[in-house]
Amino acid sequence: MMKKICRYLSPLLITALLLGSLPVAAAPAPAGSDLITTQAALNAEHGQADRERIHEILARDDVRDQLVAQGVDLAEVEARVAALSDAEAAQMAEQLEQLPAGASVVGALFAVFVILLVTDILGLTNVFPFTR
Amino acid sequence: MIDCLTRQPAAAAARNARHAGVLALVLCLLLLTGCATTPRLADSTEQALPRQLLLEEVPFHAQRDYQCGPASLAMVLNDAGVDVEVDTLIPQVFLPGREGSVQPEMLATVRRHGQIPFVIEGHLDALLLELAAGHPVVVMQNLALPAWPMWHYAVAIGFDLERNELILHSGEEPRRIESFRRFDATWARSDRWAFVALPPGELPAGVRPHRAMEAISAFEGVQGAETALPAWEALAERFADSGLVHFGLGNARHTTGDASGAIDAFAQAVAAEPGLAVAWLNLGLARRGQGDAAGAREALEQAAALPGHWQPHAREALASLEER
Repeated sequence: MMKKICRYLSPLLITALLLGSLPVAAAPAPAGSDLITTQAALNAEHGQADRERIHEILARDDVRDQLVAQGVDLAEVEARVAALSDAEAAQMAEQLEQLPAGASVVGALFAVFVILLVTDILGLTNVFPFTR
Repeated sequence: MIDCLTRQPAAAAARNARHAGVLALVLCLLLLTGCATTPRLADSTEQALPRQLLLEEVPFHAQRDYQCGPASLAMVLNDAGVDVEVDTLIPQVFLPGREGSVQPEMLATVRRHGQIPFVIEGHLDALLLELAAGHPVVVMQNLALPAWPMWHYAVAIGFDLERNELILHSGEEPRRIESFRRFDATWARSDRWAFVALPPGELPAGVRPHRAMEAISAFEGVQGAETALPAWEALAERFADSGLVHFGLGNARHTTGDASGAIDAFAQAVAAEPGLAVAWLNLGLARRGQGDAAGAREALEQAAALPGHWQPHAREALASLEER
């Protein structure tokens, strides 16, 4: 019985594996696909070294880890990382902790509110709606 | 006696500290008031703008909890014709660990929804000119002071030049009115960061070609050349004398399979900027791809003759052409 299954399964497996590897070998490089990309030209304009570029590309892995650590839903992490430009990914990887996060809350003590109340009245800040 | 001796210096120190503190606070406030004046608009801006303006059709979404980021995004995306809800955007842009949303991800989320985010120039003139062009502007403000920040995203939707006031959909308040002075003081603390979200093919009222290219190129990386092509076409029309812009258009056309269109754009690029080696290089490579060996050689020779970053690449391509 086992032998019989094997007899049918083996050729199937072999063909499946062969077919799976074919597209890689057979896909022809499209003609003239070696054009300089716009991003590469822009980077060269900015005098950006190749080393920095590699750094930016590796940054995405860091960002992925950081997003997970910040509590982002795993199903969303990939898509969020993919939507960043290389420069943005590098910025996120290097300074996510320092980047301002728009949230409209003050993380400060009561004493600070008195100061903010004064600056609000002076028209420098906009924390308390009733001062306007 | 011992008590007094020990207490007195402490009390004196406390008194001194209090005086110093009050003095420092007054100085700080004076310094800040000195800085915060009503921003003046350039005369050319004043003339270009209507006296009053309100983009009435921009929908309002009240923020919940700390989610001014997703709410602001929903407003500009809905206005651009993207049917997306705040609840869909929250998991896409909100960072639970930071209880807020960061700038790079605000831009990235716009890209995911098929719109191009353009960060605009950081001054009130640029902001008002975008509004006059019908584009609502997402702004980042620090509503409090640098030491105790209260970062906030809002959407500017109008202004009144007579009263020097800006109108914003902000937080839980639709059409909130802020004086230019107060707005600019809070906006300046984010280095006057602001962006518009536009469908491919539409450009901001004021934009430098380089910045626009970065924005479109980043969008192309996410949504593909086919989707980005109208943006390149529009940019090439706006900046007909920028070689690099035509170069970007050529690449987008090439990627979508329009070989002859790409060659046209590269030819335009070198006509506008004969010193743009990378455009000569791509012109040569594209012609080679089309089997035009003579044309390819002509362009690659130009590229190889120009010193700079692309010279080795051009020489290599020229050499491989000779071998054939």
